[in-house]
Amino acid sequence: MIALYVVAAIAVFAALRAIIEKNTGRKLPYANVLNFAVAGALVLLLDHPLSLVAAATYFVGSTLEANAIASTYAGGGKR
Amino acid sequence: MITALEVTFGLIALAGAVSAALIRDSYGKLVSLGILVAGVLPFIVDRGYLDVAIAVSLIAPIATIFVLLAVRREER
Amino acid sequence: MLGEILHILAAAIISWILFVTVDIFFKLPETGGVSGASAIARDIQAGGGALAGGTMMGNIVCSPDASAGTLLAACGVYVAGIPGGLAAALMVFIGNRICHDPGYAGTTGAVIATFVIYGFTLVGFAATDFVAGMVIAILSIQGLSHAHASRLLARLWRVRQ
Repeated sequence: MIALYVVAAIAVFAALRAIIEKNTGRKLPYANVLNFAVAGALVLLLDHPLSLVAAATYFVGSTLEANAIASTYAGGGKR
Repeated sequence: MITALEVTFGLIALAGAVSAALIRDSYGKLVSLGILVAGVLPFIVDRGYLDVAIAVSLIAPIATIFVLLAVRREER
Repeated sequence: MLGEILHILAAAIISWILFVTVDIFFKLPETGGVSGASAIARDIQAGGGALAGGTMMGNIVCSPDASAGTLLAACGVYVAGIPGGLAAALMVFIGNRICHDPGYAGTTGAVIATFVIYGFTLVGFAATDFVAGMVIAILSIQGLSHAHASRLLARLWRVRQ
């Protein structure tokens, strides 16, 4: 139970820092911490084999999103 | 779900929504939309709708990529 | 109560050592795998960090690497034991290919982490300790101070060379 509270506290901390930070390149690592925390929280909330699939799908999807934003921010190229 | 956790994840979703409305930079807006989805997803999983959660987490990045195409065309 | 907190802190240290070792062994600080990783490295360097550490942080953001492998392996061991961890390794492999990353750091990290975490569950740790510990470990790299974290990673990378 403590693990879930730790993960939720880290998630809200990372979300606030990602919003406060101005530079896009330094915003993305904070958003990445938020993605880690939410993917962990999904599995801790519901103990079911399919929640592992949900966490992995969410994590890969949000990584792809960060990858696309960073590539476009760098000035085009492979997406 | 426990009330403290509901408040925490609801705070994340609200902060994402408010910052998406207030931030002027277009990349910052997209990051805020990602934060909004991250706050909403634990509520879907807590009710047990795991298939809905999988579908949402597949659709959200695809929507972001489509918006990025428009952002890139606007910058040129 | 206190014992669980100590378990979480110990799990954080173990998973920090595990994923940093695997990432540096697979030469993540050397080049940006995609163009976005180099852009993040440039911004971190402009904020007072080191370039090699910034490149490794950019690679962690842009593609599932050993840190993602450790987190998902911990989730898999919690849900279904060793088969769950190996299924998580398969999903990390698919995620690597979706993100245009040719490396094997994520898959290797997930397989190693599965056996390490399963071994620690026999000693008295719970798999949930490792989920929270991995989130603390990634917070210490990406979320506290980019300048200090990237300098620390660059110093470790110089030792590897």
